[in-house]
Amino acid sequence: MQRRLRQYANRNRRDFNGWSFTALAVTLFIGVPTIFIFVKLFSGPGESWKHIATYLLPGYLRNSLYLALTTSFLTICFGVGSAWLSTRYEFPMRKAFEWLLILPLAIPSYITAYAYAGIFDYGGSLALLLRQFSLTMGKLDIMNIHGLAFVLGISLYPYVYVACRAFFLHQSQHLIEASKALGKGETRSFFKLILPIARPAIVGGVILVLMEVLNDYGAAKYYGVNTFTTGIFKSWFGYREPETAVYLSALLLAIIFGLILLEQWQRKRKKFVTEGKGGTALKRIQIRKKYRLLFTAVVGLPVMLGFVFPVLQLVYWASLAIKGIQWDQLYGVVLQSLLIAALAATCCVFFSVVLLLAGHSNRLRWVQQFSKVGVLGYAIPGAIIAVGVYIPGLYVDKWLISVFKQFFSVKIGLLITGTVIALLYAYVVRFLAVAYNPIASGKQKVPNGLIEASKSLGKNTLSTFWNVELPLLKPALLGSFILVFIDVMKELPLTLILKPYTVQTLAIEAYQYASDERIAEAAFPSLLIVATGVLPVIFLNRLARKD
Amino acid sequence: MLLKIDHLSKHFDGGKVKALNDVSLQLASGKSYAILGESGSGKTTLARLIAGLESPDQGEIYLNDVLIGSESHHVPVEKRAIGFVFQHYALFPHLTIRENITYGISNLGNKKQVVEEMLELVNLEGYGARYPHELSGGQQQRVALARALATKPGLIILDEPFSNLDSTLRVDLRTDIFGILQKTGVCSVFITHNSEDAMAIADEIIVLSDGRLLQQAKPEIMYSSPTTPYVARLFDPLIKLTSSLLEQFRYQPKPDARYFLRTHHFSFDATMDFHAKASIRSSTFMGKHYQIEIAIGNDTFYVASPQKPSETQVEIGWMEKDLMVF
Repeated sequence: MQRRLRQYANRNRRDFNGWSFTALAVTLFIGVPTIFIFVKLFSGPGESWKHIATYLLPGYLRNSLYLALTTSFLTICFGVGSAWLSTRYEFPMRKAFEWLLILPLAIPSYITAYAYAGIFDYGGSLALLLRQFSLTMGKLDIMNIHGLAFVLGISLYPYVYVACRAFFLHQSQHLIEASKALGKGETRSFFKLILPIARPAIVGGVILVLMEVLNDYGAAKYYGVNTFTTGIFKSWFGYREPETAVYLSALLLAIIFGLILLEQWQRKRKKFVTEGKGGTALKRIQIRKKYRLLFTAVVGLPVMLGFVFPVLQLVYWASLAIKGIQWDQLYGVVLQSLLIAALAATCCVFFSVVLLLAGHSNRLRWVQQFSKVGVLGYAIPGAIIAVGVYIPGLYVDKWLISVFKQFFSVKIGLLITGTVIALLYAYVVRFLAVAYNPIASGKQKVPNGLIEASKSLGKNTLSTFWNVELPLLKPALLGSFILVFIDVMKELPLTLILKPYTVQTLAIEAYQYASDERIAEAAFPSLLIVATGVLPVIFLNRLARKD
Repeated sequence: MLLKIDHLSKHFDGGKVKALNDVSLQLASGKSYAILGESGSGKTTLARLIAGLESPDQGEIYLNDVLIGSESHHVPVEKRAIGFVFQHYALFPHLTIRENITYGISNLGNKKQVVEEMLELVNLEGYGARYPHELSGGQQQRVALARALATKPGLIILDEPFSNLDSTLRVDLRTDIFGILQKTGVCSVFITHNSEDAMAIADEIIVLSDGRLLQQAKPEIMYSSPTTPYVARLFDPLIKLTSSLLEQFRYQPKPDARYFLRTHHFSFDATMDFHAKASIRSSTFMGKHYQIEIAIGNDTFYVASPQKPSETQVEIGWMEKDLMVF
């Protein structure tokens, strides 16, 4: 036993290098908000917790659970259905639908929510349209929890679609032929064979949907639905009780970690699922002429609901509001948004590369395992991260103020929470995984032999990265930058809590106009966010297709 | 001694897989060695440990009497000055042949000269501006060798250098590479599973099996005096002579000894040291020889013979000097 311990200590001493230190340091730096929130779970909530727990928490739980279940159901229907139809059948516009079906991801769900509120409003677009044909619309109130579930469903189904499509594309034709040879028709083969074996892909996609549902603030707030996330905001800004907000965040975090464990468990199971290796790819079935348009309409429905209708509504609003737009102010907001998004994306790419290099060049397994904590942020709702950044940030600010006062007799303001530093840091915590995953998968494609060859020729890790890996990783780095850029452009709850008063982003501008019931004016910033989102969605699709 | 390895061990999967088990050996400057073994024998692990791509769990590695790897000490690969030619060449796809060759050279002044020398050495003059994918497999292998040699290493390791090539090209390239390495005088270590390659290129062969070193010897000695049947079998098929079979040949076996003969050491000749009556069950033409199925009493076995016997009942025998006793 003693010998083993000595051996272990010897190896740790031998293998702990600068990269191990870097990996630990970066992981701890990124992990501060998560660790802070987790620790706070044990220090108890604030005074109003009793009131919240008695009167509000059951409602938060009920609403969040209802939204989770209904949105999951809707995303499975839209996502699995469209993925299967567009993979298995040949019909007009099929190729275009491959990427059109992903487009709803370009619109933040809170903007889709504004648009649908406008479409179904009394005197809204639908009513106006019906009036053209001398028809009237009965009362259709969408601004409730059911409407919110619908909006989230049509906004988030692409997560399930992308996961399932990739899965279906890898299935073998032999599998379905075997099913047919055993007497099952096309429809029964789908329900009896394809659907069960696609379970890992479906669950993987649905878990992403659930994380987004729990992250949503803007749509729920606008539709007046109280969820966990709106509860965090209410505790923070309504009751002025950060401790209670932290406590609620910690509870939500525990649920999220439960989901992550569930996802990992189901991924393990995925190994046991039969995949069509070595078989021929799934052959597409030509649809009979009379049914072709029907297929196009069915597969096109989620695109219409999730992208075309909301965008048309936004365009309509923008046309109404265009005269009143203060272009100078909008120009400033656009510039600030682009700058912040570019800065955050650069930071995320930089930290991803550092974490990857450190993880790869560090020789200790436990350090490598620990460094995975650094990329958990994407699973944690923005509001929680914001709380986890703001409170420790405030401690550091207070400490800095006293240090400057004591040693330099200089009065400084809030250097971290009062500037974009806290905001940028929070973006890095939240979106590091978005940048990390494409770079990590790109790095996996660089043969290990190339890196070892470079090192055997006398180059160290940094030099090897600069000369060999970087030139080969350029597309992945660019892809990561774009993905983070667009996520930051869309981000709302985290930005709402952490942005300094002087900073304004397009997402905040749209949210504030919508909150003030100046919905037409919210359309222009919303459209700009959508426009910046469309291009990367197409890029993402290309990337996925290459994979 | 250029390289000294003492009681080296390496485990994987938390100790479940013993890749290398208590291996000790020494390599001298200027000589060429082949580490021979089947897949999973530990030969690649040994090469990676020497190069510094892995670190040992036990034991020490010394290069020019300086400790470069042990349980508590690890000199990183980039500081060992050991050349490594990878199985799949590992040429940098975004760099030209010239850039690949100069990659490891730190002295800016003589880069051009070194490239010309190396391209001439590997017979690829005029190919400097091309990219790796524009060359054939054999040419890429030469570039990989030139790139490793350009850094003037004291020791160069070649991991299965001929495994990606077809048999004709394999022999040509083997001869070429052997010639190039002889010209440079660098100590070379070939990792191979092919005994023919090992015999053709190595001054000494090191045989590994299940992570253990079975024998280190010159090719002639290893062939004539293998220390285990496993080593002997790497070069030629063997037949185990059971006690009943030895009785048929009127040979008195010692207790606890195992007796083997190479299949081509049998002869249809009654003047051999030991011989017996046998019947021929079948014969198959294999190109260089006939594979003949022999039955003696209840024992059946295959031998290799340059000629096909004309009769079915024959006298078959062997010389005592060819008998391998373990």
